[in-house]
Amino acid sequence: MRSNKLGWILLAPTLLILFFFGVLPFVYVVFVSFHQWNPFAASPEMIFNGADNFRRIVFDSAFLNSLGVTVAFVLFAVISEVIIGYMLAQAFMREFPGKAFFRTIHTLPLIMAPIIVGSVWKLMTTPSIGIIPHYLDKWFGISMNIGTSAPAAFFTIVVMDIWHWTPLVTLTLIAALVSLPRDPFEQAQIDGANKRQIFWHITLPMIAPALIATVFIRLMDALRTVDEVWMLTGGGPGSSTRFLGVHIFKEVFPKTNYGYGSTISVIVLYLTIVVCWLLYVSMLAPRNNRKG
Amino acid sequence: MANVKIENVVKRYSNVQVMHGVDVDIEDGEFVVLVGPSGCGKSTLLRMLAGLEEISDGTISIGGRVVNDVIPKDRDIAMVFQSYALYPHKTVFDNIGFPLKMAKQPDSVIKEKVTKAAEVLDLDHLLDRYPKQLSGGQRQRVAMGRAIVRDPQVFLFDEPLSNLDAKLRVTMRVEIKELHQRLGTTIVYVTHDQIEAMTMADKIVVMRDGRVEQIGSPLDLYDHPKNVFVAGFIGSPSMNFVHGTIAVKDGKKVFLSDHGLELPVPENNARTNQAVTYGIRPEHIQVGDQGVPMKVVVVEPTGSETQVFAKSGPELIDALVKDRISAKPGSELCYMIDPANVHLFDRETEQRI
Repeated sequence: MRSNKLGWILLAPTLLILFFFGVLPFVYVVFVSFHQWNPFAASPEMIFNGADNFRRIVFDSAFLNSLGVTVAFVLFAVISEVIIGYMLAQAFMREFPGKAFFRTIHTLPLIMAPIIVGSVWKLMTTPSIGIIPHYLDKWFGISMNIGTSAPAAFFTIVVMDIWHWTPLVTLTLIAALVSLPRDPFEQAQIDGANKRQIFWHITLPMIAPALIATVFIRLMDALRTVDEVWMLTGGGPGSSTRFLGVHIFKEVFPKTNYGYGSTISVIVLYLTIVVCWLLYVSMLAPRNNRKG
Repeated sequence: MANVKIENVVKRYSNVQVMHGVDVDIEDGEFVVLVGPSGCGKSTLLRMLAGLEEISDGTISIGGRVVNDVIPKDRDIAMVFQSYALYPHKTVFDNIGFPLKMAKQPDSVIKEKVTKAAEVLDLDHLLDRYPKQLSGGQRQRVAMGRAIVRDPQVFLFDEPLSNLDAKLRVTMRVEIKELHQRLGTTIVYVTHDQIEAMTMADKIVVMRDGRVEQIGSPLDLYDHPKNVFVAGFIGSPSMNFVHGTIAVKDGKKVFLSDHGLELPVPENNARTNQAVTYGIRPEHIQVGDQGVPMKVVVVEPTGSETQVFAKSGPELIDALVKDRISAKPGSELCYMIDPANVHLFDRETEQRI
C-alpha cells in the first residue's frame, strides 16, 4: 500500500500539470463550443446556444473548403513523406562515403521552428527575389507565383512540409530497420523471395508498428499545420491554402469568434481521432485479433 | 538430392583471410557434419554453400553445377538457422508455406504440402499460431517444416539445436536423423557439439581456424585421429595427453613422461628419443588394483559411469569407469593401459605417428 501511495505522490506533479494545461483547457473548449461568445464585441457575454455552432458548421462552405484543402494536403504530404522517408532510411542503412555527414545534414530541417521554415520558404518563393521562381523560369521557362496561382501555392506548401518533416520519418524508420533481426531476411532469400517480395512480405510487416506510429504523428501534425502556411501564403490566394488550422486561427483571432472557433477545433479533434482510429483498426487490429 | 563439391574454397574479408583452401566432397544423400570450436569457419562455409556469403576463391558445386555466382534462391537448398529465423508476423501455416508461395504454387498445392509437413513434424494442431506463441522445440520444428516443404537438393542446418534444452536436444537429434533416413536428402549440418556430430553424421569434417583438420566417419575420427587437435576435440570426456619421449627399457620401447611416468606404447614408427604427445582416452584406462598406482583427486559419479580424476605421479589422469567405485579422494587406485588403445603424436608437428 505504501508503495502505491508513493507512486501517486511521485505522479502528482505530472498529473497536476496535465490537468491544468491539458484536461481543463480541453473541457473549457468543449464548453465554449456550445456558446456564442465574442469577448471583444459590443456584447461580450457568453451566450449558450446549444448545438447551433455545430449545425452551422455543416453548412459552412468556408469550413468545408478548408476541410477539403486540408485532406488533400495531408494525403499529398504524408504519403510522400513516408515513401521518401523510407527510401532515405534504406539508403542510410548502407555504407557510403560521407554517410555520417549526410545523415546530420538531412536532419537539420527538423530542428527549425515552423515559423522560420515558413519565412525562409517565403523568401525563396517570392517572385522577382526568390531563388525557386528564378531558376524555374531560367531553366524550364515556368513562371511561378504563389501569390496568384492556387496550385503553385498549394504544392509549395506540400513540398515545404515534405522538406521539413521527411527527416522525422527517416529517423524513426532507421531505428525500426536497425532493430530488425537479420536472419528472417536471409531466410527469405533462400526461400526464393526477390527484393520486391521481401519488401512486401517481410520488411513492411516487420516495421509496420513503427511505420504506423510515424504516420499517426505526421497525420496529427499535418492536420493542425498553421505557422508555416500562415507565414508563406496566409491561407491564400483566395482560400486555396486555408487549411483547418489557418481557418480556426482566422475565425478566432481576427474575427474574435471564440465560440464558433472552439466548435471547429472540437470537430477537427474528433476527425483526427476518427482517422487515426480507422488507420489503427485497418492496419494493426486484424493482426492482434488473429493472434488471440 | 545431389552431391556437393567444395574445392579449394577461400574466404577473405578485405585483407583478412579466414578460410584457407577448404576441400570437402559430399556424396549424394550423405549426412555431413561440420564441427569445430567457435570461429573455426564452419558457419561461414555453410553460409557460402547457401549463397549468403561470397566465395573469394575456389568453387562450390551442387549437383554438378558450379554455384559460385548463383543467388541463394536458385541453388535449390533449404536452410535452418540457429535462431530459426521464423517470420514473426506470419502464422505457422504461412511460415511453412512461404517458400511455396514464393514459387507461385497454387493454393491447393500449398495447403496439401504444408498439411503433410505439419503432420510429419507433429505441428498440425499449431498451424494457426504465431511463432511467439510456440515453445523452442515447436519453433525449431516449424523451421524444419519450412525447409522440407521445398523438397530441396540439399538441407543446410546451422547449429539448429543449440537454443534448446538438453533433453529436447536429444529428442530433436533423433528426429532430424530419422528425417534424414526417411527423405534421404543430402544434409550439411554445422555444430560445435561433438556429441551431436558423432551421433548424427555419416561423415564428420573437423575444422580449425579456417582449415579442415580431418574428414572421416565418426568412429574413424575416434579411432584414428590425425592430430592432437582432432584427438582432443572428438570424444567425451576428452583424451588425456601427456608430454614425454620414447625410451627403451629392457629392449622394449616405452613412453617416459617429462615428469618420469612410464607407460606402455604400441609397436609403431616412433623413434627412440623422439619427443611425443601420448594420448589415451579416459574410457580406455582400466582402473583396478593392479598396474600403475594413482591417487584419486576427484570422483564424479553420473550413475551409469564414474569419472575419476587422479594423480599418477605428477600427471593428472582422467579415467572413465563403467562400474560404480567407492574410491574417495586421497585413496589409492591402480590402472593399466592396453598399448593398442594408445595414440602417439609428434610433439613438434602434433601429427599422428
